[in-house]
Amino acid sequence: MREVRATILENRAIADKIYSLTFHIEEEIPIDCGQFCMIGIAGHPLRRPIAICRAEGGRITVCYQVRGEGTRILAEDYKAGETLSVLLPLGNSFPVADGVRKIALVGGGVGIFPLISVLRKYAPEREVYSYMGFRNKAAMCMGYELERGKKLKVATDDGSVGMKGTAVQAFLSDLSENRPDVVFSCGPLPMLRALKKGMEGKDIPVYVSLEERMGCGIGACLVCVCDKKDGTHARVCKDGPIFDLKEIVL
Amino acid sequence: MTDLRVKLCGVELKNPVIPASGTFGFGREFDEIYDISLLGAVATKGLTLLPRLGNAVPRIAESRGVILNAVGLQNPGVEAFIEKDLSWLRSKTRVVANVAGSTLSDYEKICARLDGLVDFLELNISCPNVKCGGMAFGIRPEDVKEVTHVAKEAIRKTPLMVKLSPNVESISRNARAAEEGGADCISLVNTFTGMAVDIERRRPILANNTGGVSGAGILPIALRMVYEVAHAVSLPVVGMGGITCAEDAVAFLMAGATAVQVGTANFTNTRACPEIIEGLAEWCDRHGVREVSELTGTLKMN
Repeated sequence: MREVRATILENRAIADKIYSLTFHIEEEIPIDCGQFCMIGIAGHPLRRPIAICRAEGGRITVCYQVRGEGTRILAEDYKAGETLSVLLPLGNSFPVADGVRKIALVGGGVGIFPLISVLRKYAPEREVYSYMGFRNKAAMCMGYELERGKKLKVATDDGSVGMKGTAVQAFLSDLSENRPDVVFSCGPLPMLRALKKGMEGKDIPVYVSLEERMGCGIGACLVCVCDKKDGTHARVCKDGPIFDLKEIVL
Repeated sequence: MTDLRVKLCGVELKNPVIPASGTFGFGREFDEIYDISLLGAVATKGLTLLPRLGNAVPRIAESRGVILNAVGLQNPGVEAFIEKDLSWLRSKTRVVANVAGSTLSDYEKICARLDGLVDFLELNISCPNVKCGGMAFGIRPEDVKEVTHVAKEAIRKTPLMVKLSPNVESISRNARAAEEGGADCISLVNTFTGMAVDIERRRPILANNTGGVSGAGILPIALRMVYEVAHAVSLPVVGMGGITCAEDAVAFLMAGATAVQVGTANFTNTRACPEIIEGLAEWCDRHGVREVSELTGTLKMN
């Protein structure tokens, strides 16, 4: 984990309110799939936690949604050539055991971005099946990255692209004929809950990447916790953001 | 080169910079970024007698120039701290153990347990007092005096620092109450109670609705309070509230602080504390200050 000065190479809109930010860092830091970074925004005391999509050498791409003032400033004021303060890499990674051949990815909205790092690392050597949900056609992005796997099924709320429905529905409708060894998911809480319900009794490991408002991002301040089944709390930034669905309360 | 050492209640710190309670855990995470032995001391996460889970999330929000938090004292309890983290942390630097309780007996027991094991005990008296219908110990001067007295009676070796809440009628009066109760030192300010609202949802952002406001935006109020308290008591004062750079720290020292604590800035810049220490040395060098302790209380009023 380091705090580095990064130089912005590109920061552009790729879908409705969704931006792709690519920056360069001098030192090559190993980054595993599913890890995230905290980006500092001038004049704002809190950094913004953002998932890492792609890391090649010192060239790193993250994608974010404009949600509040901080991300709006990041989208509007930070241009190529300018510098950013970035804390990275943070958190754990998606666990892929040696014997795992088939990986299913279930992503919704901005939840697709950490899953892209899995596609980039494991496809095509392993069979990666992607089930990605968006609000509508305008919200869809990164199609070329999502197509890296063996199969891509897109679902939209309004049916403007792919099937009408959710990523979880798309995934579950395939499950009987295409049983994965492991499922990785990231997306809004209702989506993760639907996935949890759909996977009950299936005996397939499911790992989810959680989102939470964060303070330090490194596990010191105990701001971003989630409830564990054993009655304790886990830190989303340090013990997560990726958790075994069996171990947490959603 | 300026001598950055300061003496607080007879305990020497290698410099006057201390990360504030709740922003730094027990130091292990920040030690992955820089060697925390370069810090004057570390103020631990608030410790309760038994482990606490804390509040629901979201526990943090941002507003202009400030943050709000309502963690609710999540911590593993004093015994787990002693067993797992204390000796490691003490091998690094001085330890300010932040103590939180909901009854007088909690404060008494935690202080007795940590007496002699840490370098300072810092009483967090912003916790709700179960016996006073949930009103914090730190609000009424008589309660401040009582909780300080109970804590002081429980300890023989470790100096007692009382951390004052700014959400009070008169912080100087409460500082004097702590002095009368037997405090060896005062730290201030704790956070200001505030609220941040998500107008789209028409709800407060924090699950707890309200939270403690900290960060650069509170600095002028904190600085005024540190000045007032430093001149109201004859005890040493540890100042905090929005310090983000060495120049801020210098202002608190001039206002009367012997040392400073740095909280929210650790989130904005993980290296905030070491940069403040380096900046303090440079500022003092530039201004011909040979010992940083010379700065304390040198503010000249207009």
